[in-house]
Amino acid sequence: MVSLEQSIDCRIQKGKNVGMQETPSEQLTQALINVATHADKKAYAYLFSYFAPKIKRFGIKQYGSEAMAMELVQDTMTSVWRKAKLYRPEKGAATTWVYTIMRNASFDALRKIKSNREDNLSEEIWPLFHDEQVCERSFKDHLQSNQLKEKIKSLPAPQRDVVVGVYFEDMTQEQLAQHLDIPVGTVKSRLRLALKKLKVELGEQHD
Amino acid sequence: MIKYHPSKQLMQKHIMGELPAGLSVAIAAHIELCDTCSKEFELLEAQQASVTFEEPCEENDSFELDFMIDDITQLSMFDQVVSHEPDIFEYEDKRVQLPRAIAALKLGSFMNAGKVSRARFELDEGPLRSSLLHIKPGGEIPEHTHTGFELTLLLDGTFEDESGQYVPGDFIMLDGRHNHSPRTKDGCLCFTLVDNALHFNKGLSKLLNPIGKLIY
Repeated sequence: MVSLEQSIDCRIQKGKNVGMQETPSEQLTQALINVATHADKKAYAYLFSYFAPKIKRFGIKQYGSEAMAMELVQDTMTSVWRKAKLYRPEKGAATTWVYTIMRNASFDALRKIKSNREDNLSEEIWPLFHDEQVCERSFKDHLQSNQLKEKIKSLPAPQRDVVVGVYFEDMTQEQLAQHLDIPVGTVKSRLRLALKKLKVELGEQHD
Repeated sequence: MIKYHPSKQLMQKHIMGELPAGLSVAIAAHIELCDTCSKEFELLEAQQASVTFEEPCEENDSFELDFMIDDITQLSMFDQVVSHEPDIFEYEDKRVQLPRAIAALKLGSFMNAGKVSRARFELDEGPLRSSLLHIKPGGEIPEHTHTGFELTLLLDGTFEDESGQYVPGDFIMLDGRHNHSPRTKDGCLCFTLVDNALHFNKGLSKLLNPIGKLIY
């Protein structure tokens, strides 16, 4: 696993050696994950120092106005912080995710200028995720560990429902079977599969 | 099978967020219906993201921004994903699940002209008009040319014109060079976007020219 320390080193080195530099994709993605799981401000500062100047550059190109470009930086980077938990590393690189947020914010800002509409359509045109159905309120309130929560969220829906029902909504396996309209045996086997998967995933992280 | 797709150029501009809302709504709706374009979109968006963020900025450009970090990290983070409820549109005796981008728009009331009903989406884009068009079985629109462009995204049913038959998901972009007279055997539902009035070419339907604006 790439640690944040390495990412920061990388940035400092970049200042010294000017010239073409590969995008530090892995470090950026890892930093975004750290923000999502631990509200890690240091990781956020790293993301900020990487993206903010480039968003500003994009904004100036887009609007020809420094003030508006700064607003775009603020809008985009605020969403990066606030929505970090919605980032799915398996769906794409952090750069793509940040680009989506930036393009959306920019589109909404331009629409406000051109049509004087504040309908924030961008979220519907370019959704950050498609057909996501996770994280019931009770699920959210009961869960303490963000990391575990992330893992549970990424389980396939049938397994996730069973884990959430049994562990966070205090349902018995029988109640859950009735609730989901599936046999008790299916509840048991889904639960087994899910726990096995979670163990593997969490185990890998601690290696 | 879907045969008509947005051009690469349109897709690129869509990714960059540079198109009018009506056009981006139509492309997003097509992407939702078309696996090929959905994959292409993801690929191109990732490429565009790399290009945008790859090039280094001058180092001293960044410190003036740093004051924002503290402000932002004071804010609470979103914990929850609000799941998207698909929107069902009912017409005749059919139920159609509208693509998300279209379902999000505010629709005005329907106006009828024979077998054609049309409702405008309230997007306020000046001469660009986005509409939901419903043609009843056996309906047709007299042969016309477009003074600007006309985009049709077929959402349900089928229709045909001089170039052949279209299926749901087809993204049909026509401009001033095209004449056509679309007709539908079993009825259809379309998202349309025009940037100017249609021009009717033949006989009596020339009388319709003043209402070209009304139909589309």
